[in-house]
Amino acid sequence: MDIVSLLLQAANLMVTGMVGVFVFLSILIFAVKNLAKLAGPETSGDTSTKAVSKSSTGVSSAHIAAITAAIAQYRTKK
Amino acid sequence: MEGLLNLWHATGLANFTIPALVMMAVGCGLLYLAIAKGFEPLLLVPIGFGAILTNIPVAGLAEPGGLLYYVYYIGIDSGVFPLLIFMGVGALTDFSALIANPRMLLLGAAAQFGIFATLFGAIALNYVPGFEFTLKDASAIAIIGGADGPTAIFLASKLAPELLGAIAVAAYSYMALVPIIQPPIMRALTSEQERNIEMPQLRVVSKKEKILFPLVVLSLTIMFLPAATPLVGMFCLGNLMRECGVVDRLSNTAQNELINITTIFLGLAVGSKLAADQFLTVETLGILVLGALAFSIGTASGVFMAKIMNRLSSNPINPLVGAAGVSAVPMAARVVNKVGLEANPHNFLLMHAMGPNVAGVLGSAVAAGILLALVG
Repeated sequence: MDIVSLLLQAANLMVTGMVGVFVFLSILIFAVKNLAKLAGPETSGDTSTKAVSKSSTGVSSAHIAAITAAIAQYRTKK
Repeated sequence: MEGLLNLWHATGLANFTIPALVMMAVGCGLLYLAIAKGFEPLLLVPIGFGAILTNIPVAGLAEPGGLLYYVYYIGIDSGVFPLLIFMGVGALTDFSALIANPRMLLLGAAAQFGIFATLFGAIALNYVPGFEFTLKDASAIAIIGGADGPTAIFLASKLAPELLGAIAVAAYSYMALVPIIQPPIMRALTSEQERNIEMPQLRVVSKKEKILFPLVVLSLTIMFLPAATPLVGMFCLGNLMRECGVVDRLSNTAQNELINITTIFLGLAVGSKLAADQFLTVETLGILVLGALAFSIGTASGVFMAKIMNRLSSNPINPLVGAAGVSAVPMAARVVNKVGLEANPHNFLLMHAMGPNVAGVLGSAVAAGILLALVG
């Protein structure tokens, strides 16, 4: 008898728990998607500045200009 | 003569009991698994040795006044050690795969069904004579399905401290057994064609997103599930330290020294709960069976969810990645990658599986928070 009521409680907990986990993580999905919109445009700028700052150590600016031009040309061809 | 007799009574030989010897053998077994087989050695070595120390007669290391008693009291009874470990795990976790594809959180959620189904199973086990699990016991046992050591220890220390030893041993053993438990389930539930599915490459995630992510997770937890904030809060702190880039020293400490020191004491404290009178019970057997069940159900429900998402979504999703929803970072993701490569040698699923994998960590922390809020 006692076990039956415990089982009912457990089943109840199972349903509430799963609903709770799904609702919470769904809200998080929504939040993370908006986060991407909020911070998204920065991505390309971020990587390009990093690339420039890395290559600028010990490489002359003329070289960088030539390489950038070559990459740009390659990309437009593609 | 009397002096000699007294000395004899003070030796281990005169005071050994069979159950204590059995537990010392269990400790040696854990050491063997860790050292010879490489099963979660970082934890099983201190746990196994702790089990031996605890069962030494006369010395009373795990009784009030003994070293292990205090280590347990300070670190686990208070909930501090698992939370410190969780901070380190946060500092070790890279969320970019999840931020790039946030829908993977659904897989982390689905895999938590292993927890809640096992809770039901633990109560149903009460029909077998010898088992008397309360709802609190059942919740603490079920969290093994979260496949997350610190979460399991944290919840067990709050809900069922007397079962903690068995729960921690089951959780860490099954995490080590993930490469054996998961693949047959994954193969049985998917077709060759489904295992072949290649997924599109993930986008690059900006630093700003990575910094904001732990803050977003924390604010949602504060608003909707404050009971989970000890776990999620420490996790987010660790992750923020990693991503913000201005406290590398703190982040490195959390990832290395702090987590290592805590792991030693956490293992010893768990070992101190492997005393014969607490461990050598039918309930331990039940916990071991239920733990395996929890892992299997979690894996299966993750795969099913991934199948459903693959049907509904415009981007193809390989159902195998669902199996990584049962945290066990990064072992589960590696298993997914391996099974995927068996079907298609050019299909590298590791990065795609890391998304649901870290989602599983969040999912099990949320599930623990829900159990604490409803049962605790």
